[in-house]
Parts: sequence; C-alpha cells; structure tokens
Amino acid sequence: MRTASILIFVVVTGTGGEICLTHAMKLLGEVHDFRPGAIVKFVFRALRVGWLWFAVFLMAASFFSFLTMLSWFPVSFVIPVTSLAYVAGAIGAKLFLGEKLNATRWAGIVLICLGVGMAWVDNLPTALAHPSALPILRWVILVLAVGPLIFYVIGIYSAWRFFRVAHRAIVPPLDAQGFPPASILKPVRGLDPNAYENFASFCRQSYPEFEILFAVNGPADPVVPVVQKLIADFPERTIRLIFVEERLGANVKVSNLCRLVREAQHDLLVITDSDVRVEPEYLRSVAFMFRNPAVGGVTALYRGQDNLQFVAAMDCVGSSAAFCGAALVARELEGLNFMMGSTMATTRARLAEIGGFEALVDLHSDDYELGHRIAARGHRIELLPEPVWMAFPSLPLGAYLRHELRWAIGIRNIRPGGHFGMLFTHGLPWAIAAACVAPSLAVATFYLVGYFALRFAMAWIVGVWGLRDPVLRRRFWLLPVRDFFSFFVWLASFARNRIEWRGSSFTLENGRMIPVITRANVPE
Amino acid sequence: MTAPKSHKTKTYVLLFLLVLLGSVGNTLLGKGMKDAGDLDLSHISTVIAGATRVLSSGAIWAGIAMMLGFMVCHMLVLSWADYSFVMPFSAIAYALVPLLGYLFLHEQVSTARWIGIVLIVFGVVLINRTPHRTTPAIPQENPN
Repeated sequence: MRTASILIFVVVTGTGGEICLTHAMKLLGEVHDFRPGAIVKFVFRALRVGWLWFAVFLMAASFFSFLTMLSWFPVSFVIPVTSLAYVAGAIGAKLFLGEKLNATRWAGIVLICLGVGMAWVDNLPTALAHPSALPILRWVILVLAVGPLIFYVIGIYSAWRFFRVAHRAIVPPLDAQGFPPASILKPVRGLDPNAYENFASFCRQSYPEFEILFAVNGPADPVVPVVQKLIADFPERTIRLIFVEERLGANVKVSNLCRLVREAQHDLLVITDSDVRVEPEYLRSVAFMFRNPAVGGVTALYRGQDNLQFVAAMDCVGSSAAFCGAALVARELEGLNFMMGSTMATTRARLAEIGGFEALVDLHSDDYELGHRIAARGHRIELLPEPVWMAFPSLPLGAYLRHELRWAIGIRNIRPGGHFGMLFTHGLPWAIAAACVAPSLAVATFYLVGYFALRFAMAWIVGVWGLRDPVLRRRFWLLPVRDFFSFFVWLASFARNRIEWRGSSFTLENGRMIPVITRANVPE
Repeated sequence: MTAPKSHKTKTYVLLFLLVLLGSVGNTLLGKGMKDAGDLDLSHISTVIAGATRVLSSGAIWAGIAMMLGFMVCHMLVLSWADYSFVMPFSAIAYALVPLLGYLFLHEQVSTARWIGIVLIVFGVVLINRTPHRTTPAIPQENPN
C-alpha cells in the first residue's frame, strides 16, 4: 500500500503543480522580450500570481515525496514508475488546461512513458516483482472490477423503474380532445432496409391532423422514387418531398432540418431518423406527452426487427442492451438531458428558445445537442413508453466498427467525463483482468460468473422484458461478443478525432465538425 | 494552428536550455550532495556542520543556479507553449543522460536501455510533429 500511496502522491502533486504553473504562465501571456531586464520583470510579475505559489507548494510537496521514495526504493524502480506522470500530465492538460491532444501527441507520450520505463529499469522482471508492487496492482484491479457489476445492478433497477410504469401507460383514444396538428419531419438520404414500409408506418398514423415532410439533397437520390410512390399510395395524407439545395453548415442533416422547419405548417415538430418504423398510435403517444407543460422534448428508445444478418444483429443487441440501458441509467440518475435520433419531438416555441436548428448546423451529435439545449433551458425531456422499431442495415464488420468509432468519438466530444466513465461499463475486460490476477480460483470464478449473470440480467430486463426486442431475445449470446468489440472501439476513440461521415472527413472540436481539406476535396 | 517561425525557434531554444540546465543542474546537485557525505541529523551541531559542508561546495551553488535557470526557462516557455508539448519533449533528457554517459564516460548501456532510448527519441519526434500551442491566448488586462 505504501508504494502505491506515495507513487500516487508524487504523480498527483507533481502534475497538479505543473498544471497550476502552466495556467499561471498562460495568464501572464506570451513572452516576446528576452532581454535580461525583461525576464527579471517577467519573473516578478509571475510572483504576484496566486496560481504560481500554489504551483510551487505542490511541486515542493512532490519533490520531497520523490526524495522519500528514492530513499525507499532503488532509482531503477522509482524513475520508471514515476514516468506515469507523463500520462497523468497529458490527461491533466486536456481536462484542466483545455489543450487539444491529437492522436500523434498521445502516441508520442505513450512511447516516451514506455521509453523512460525501459531506459531506467535495470532488470524489468525484478522491478515488477518488487515487494508490494504487484499485490497493490492486484487489489486495484480487483476493486475497480466491481465497478461494472455495480453499473449493471443500477441498470437493472433503472430499467425496472421505467418499464414498470411504461408498460401500463395507456395512449388516449383518437376521439379525445387535445391532439394538436403535427408536422413529421424526415431528412432522408439513400435507402435503408425496408424503407417503404418504414415510411408507410408514418402515413398510417391514427391522428387527427398531420403532415409528413421529406427532405432530400437532390433528385438523383435513390430514395426519391420510394417517397414518390408513398405520395401516390396515400393520397389522403399531406406528404411533401422537398429538394434542398442550400447547405448551412458541416452537418447536412441539420442543414436540411432547418429548411424542413421553415416549410412545416404546424407547431408540434416530430423528427425521426429515416430508418425508424412506428406503430399507428405513435404520434398520439408523442402528443400526449406534451400535455404536461413542463415537457420540452420527447425522445424514444428503440429495438430491432428480426431476421438480421450477424453484424446487424450485434449492432442491434448493443443498441438495445447497452445503449438503451445506459440511457435509462442516465434518466434515473440525473434525468434525461439528451435526445436520440429515433425520435426528436419538440415544439416550435422550444426550438426557437435554443435558436432553432440553425444553432446546430456544425455539430456532429445533433440529436444529443437538441435535447441537451432544451433541457438546459429548464424543460423536461421525456421518454416515450413504447420504443420505436429501427432498421439495422446488413454491413461488414469493418464498417460496423467504423460506425461505432464515429459514434464513440462523438460522445467523447460532447461528454468527455461520461465517456471516460464508460470505463466502468465495460464489464468483460474488467472481469477477465480480475480473473487473471485473482488470488484464488474462487475469486476468479466470482468475477466471471458475476459479469455473465449481471450482464445478461440487465440485458434481459432492458431488452427482452422492457423493450420487447425480438433480436436480443434470440441472439442473447452475441452480447459478450459485442462487449469485446465495444471495449476496443472505446479505447480507439481516445486516439482519434477524425471521422468519416457520408464520404467526407471531419475532425471534431468540442462536438463541432471541422471539414478536413484533403487533396481529393480541395475546392477549385 | 501552425505556429509562426519565430515562435517555433524560441520554443526550441528554450527547450534546449531547459534540458541542458535541468540535467547538468541535477548532476551537479547529486555530485555536491555525495561529496558532502551522509548528513548526520542526530545533533544540532552535526546538522550545522553538515549544512556548512553542503553550502561551502561550489558544485551545490552551481547546481542551484542551474536549477533556477531551468525554472525560469520552464516558466518562459509555458507562457506560450502547451504543457502537453513541453513536458514530453523535455523527456529527451532521460535519453540524453545515458547516451552522453555512453559516449563520453564509456558507461555500459543495457539492451533494455537502448530500446528505451530509441522509444523516447521516437516519441519526441512524434510530439514534435504536433502544434506547439493548441489553446487560445487569454485576453490580457492592461498592465497598469
């Protein structure tokens, strides 16, 4: 315990001191004048900054504990372990100083950290076997590995609390009063599986008055004939297909939504991704939510339709069991403050409050941001009791992983803390790590059985009992496979800030999409 | 985000000074402390005697001066460059110290240490390919 405590102390005080020092220097501003007199003046100005003194205090504490450590252990152990400070410093610089670390810099830091370890370890095996180094590591892993198990228990509780009420929810019949006219807005691009049936489910809504507006970026899009057939097949419905020429920002979908909102006739705006299918009561259920004046937005969980190809099924299992589970935990712990693309419903008044979709045109995670901004204005985001259906396209494993990576990078940009906290939702690697270091077979079994039992229990409560997802019910066993891939995607999302989306490259800066100019797309 | 050329030059000059002053200063302090012998803290008179021995050593004073210079360079470079750039970059000292020992003092360098040196150098090369500064300047108040 002694080794770990002093190591943590040295690293935390040292890094903290350096961070405070950097902050103090940034407050003073860039030095341009290097004449001796100017440098003396600069040092005296620095001495008047409170942060500098705090930094000196922390660095002194770190220095003396470092000396203590040197008196306890050989230098060939101390310098390699304290090289962890490079990683700690990088994380601190990112979190507290707002420095932007790209993948290259991360890679460099990790190499240096390893290099310092290698260069100063005389004998690697003996250093690792140094008294108390290994047992400490073992206990740290065993304690942290309980984290995911606790997360699963919270997940089970949150899902039970939500669905117990949701399953009893009754949608008021059509003759009831108070269903305002609604506009269903669908920005579409390309063809999803069963596109016609998915679209048609919106035309079959049993609702007094509503219109459906599709936005496409050009008449050549393969989705255009499908929408035209829809208009012909449902003459009793108001359905419009709008070709959008203008592009207001990096996010084309949001750019199209700006136009759709302008074209829409009604105040209740219901936006759904193109791959969503709904039951005939859907729109009534959405409108019913807004009878509570505190509600500013409505979103929905989703489930998959059966007969999916392997990777699509894995995607679906992950969405139902993992993503919807995490959303329910967020709802239980802090109230929903985001929306999902499966349903983004709000009113014109709420949308105007946050500056309309025009405020989101460059943002990557528009669904999240819309909900987040409405919630920040003090309105509630509610979850529909009934999930919608989602079409999961067949795709190769590589494309699936890239899609997951893009999504994870998006999350890291908008919720860095929550994204890091996902470390404790990855039960599989923790269970394996704990089993590897466990002091006895019984302890190893406890962690592995604990993972499988609670993981499946949570998936069952969320996906099978709650969402009634047919894919999850049949392909339960895909969950650990998905967890395995998902852990590596999560790791990779730290190293990358560049995403490929709809054929273009972007880097994300605080959730904002910055187009990457490559040789292939340099404008003339 | 690319820094102007002068900006880059002064970063490198200061990093060079920082690494030089830091490693030489540390070595001098270490040598001075070793020459002064073990400190005996048992009695006030032995403590004073020990302190006198330490403070009369030229190496110690030179070391302290170098460390002060190191600190000033550190402060200057951090007034514009990223901490996450300066910190890993200065790790080059960990590669230079054994390397200089090998070249000038003909010290033995183990295979593990060679690998470590290569990793550090490669890491610094990667760090060097990233922008020196990624944060916006904080608006300055009028210094009066």
